[in-house]
Amino acid sequence: MIRLSLLCQCLLAALLLTCLGSLLHGSGLIGPMLHGNQPLPALQLQLLLQLRLPRLLVAICSGMLLSSAGAAIQARFRNPLAEPGLLGIYSGAALAAALALSLGGGILPVSLAGFAGSLLTLWLIRLLASPNGQGSRLILSGVAIAALLGSLLTLLITTLPDGALRSITFWLMGSFASAEWPQAWLLLLATPLVWLGLFRHWRLLNALQLGEATAFHLGFDLQRGAWLVVCLASIAAGVVVSSCGMIGFVGLLAPHLTRLLTGSDARRLLLAAPLLGAWLTVSADWLARSLLAPAELPVGVITSLLGAPFFLWLLRREQESPRA
Amino acid sequence: MLELEQVCLQRAGKRLLWQVSLQAVPGELCVILGPNGAGKSTLLQVMSGYLRPDSGRVRLGGQDTAGLSPARLASLRAVVEQQAATPSGWRVQELVAAGAYLAAPAQQAAAMARALALTDTSRLAQRRLDSLSGGEAQRAHLARALCQLLASTQPERYLLLDEATAALDFAIADSQMAQWRQLAQDLHIGVVAVLHDLNLALRHADRVLLLQDGCSIAFGRTADIMQQARLEAIYGIRLAELISPDAGIRAFVPHTPR
Repeated sequence: MIRLSLLCQCLLAALLLTCLGSLLHGSGLIGPMLHGNQPLPALQLQLLLQLRLPRLLVAICSGMLLSSAGAAIQARFRNPLAEPGLLGIYSGAALAAALALSLGGGILPVSLAGFAGSLLTLWLIRLLASPNGQGSRLILSGVAIAALLGSLLTLLITTLPDGALRSITFWLMGSFASAEWPQAWLLLLATPLVWLGLFRHWRLLNALQLGEATAFHLGFDLQRGAWLVVCLASIAAGVVVSSCGMIGFVGLLAPHLTRLLTGSDARRLLLAAPLLGAWLTVSADWLARSLLAPAELPVGVITSLLGAPFFLWLLRREQESPRA
Repeated sequence: MLELEQVCLQRAGKRLLWQVSLQAVPGELCVILGPNGAGKSTLLQVMSGYLRPDSGRVRLGGQDTAGLSPARLASLRAVVEQQAATPSGWRVQELVAAGAYLAAPAQQAAAMARALALTDTSRLAQRRLDSLSGGEAQRAHLARALCQLLASTQPERYLLLDEATAALDFAIADSQMAQWRQLAQDLHIGVVAVLHDLNLALRHADRVLLLQDGCSIAFGRTADIMQQARLEAIYGIRLAELISPDAGIRAFVPHTPR
């Protein structure tokens, strides 16, 4: 096992380099910067500050949010398949956003509606959850809710006009293209809050790996603590999905990858996973933007396209060396 | 004193416990015996506060568990579960440390070192849980539970063990039982253990509760309670009592045609 501080430094360095690359690649600023004595072209600088920088910040924050939420939710439910959208949060957000779109909303109202939809879903799941805080019932309710909301979404989509259909499809596949400063500020605010909230519960998350009964015996309040963790992770998912759509696989992949490097201790995991997750989303966004330039791919397609095979490889590897 | 008073519990229309009473005191090893499905583990879960009885009271050191928070309960009792998990990648040290997660930081390190020493697991501290044998894993979980009690500042503390000898060979099971009793006396904690093995109980228990179909059949000093006729009635088979006079050892074996 690599030392944690070394690992975090490496991840941070990789993240910073990728950010720099993503920010400057094709910006038309590298040439003037290298020549030094010329003033930087104002238009390009403006584009960098108004479009590329908020987009980069949104990518970083969503990666961090999704991966720390994924790590927490996997630990909470002792389920390696769990991810932040497990409880139907994505479907709820998508349904509300599609509803707002069909009513003719712009980017910001759609985002807000998405977030409200995720919160509503969370509240609905809370109503259905078992009173003594058992995780299995929570998961099953979530899966049922996700199916229900998903079918409602399909129903709604069939009635949408062509223009709205295109934007909702793009949104469903996830993209940082429409990210602007308002979203960036929202995510910059949410990321540290959610992360701190989750990190404060690293002991509970570790205890839950021993089973729910053991966590209770060790003195943890499952009704309150465990529910708070689920809430924070779902809010993270809601914030991300409402500002940039469904970015698949990051919330699942980043914690798994990190676990290979840090082991399953929640404290180490929550420190390293956000860095890795942010690196993944920033890289994916860079690829999405430049692979078919000037056309742009939805970033969710990239993360799933690369993430799914990689995840399968990871599974095979874990099977071959079960005690790695 | 750990005190159960007329505890009743029903789940899904089925009577699991009916008017069970019991008193366990610090310094003693109290064993709960009974056939499969008698409600032994359920009773232990009621004692630990994990299940709440429909009626009756559970008191730990005079405090009714119904009004206690999980954290408060954890300072009064620790539990070794029947099938304790061994998350992959964890080391024994990390497992034992989990016992003192909620304790004051000043107590954590000392409690951990002492728990490792008392359970003879100090040399396992750096080993991974998934590399341990059944007996070693059992000791690691015992150390985790002891660490929880040692980090607590409560005057009266209890250790609850649910079929903790099930995966152990008979020599290790016997030495474990002896160790629990020793710990009960040395640390002045009450130990309550659910067991399947009559003879382990006969050899090591201070008190025994016999449970059948959720009802308490008898409770008291081991020698008084573990009578041949009573055990035959509960388990529904004929028993033979073997006595080794020079070693002072009694044992029951089934006395049925092969």
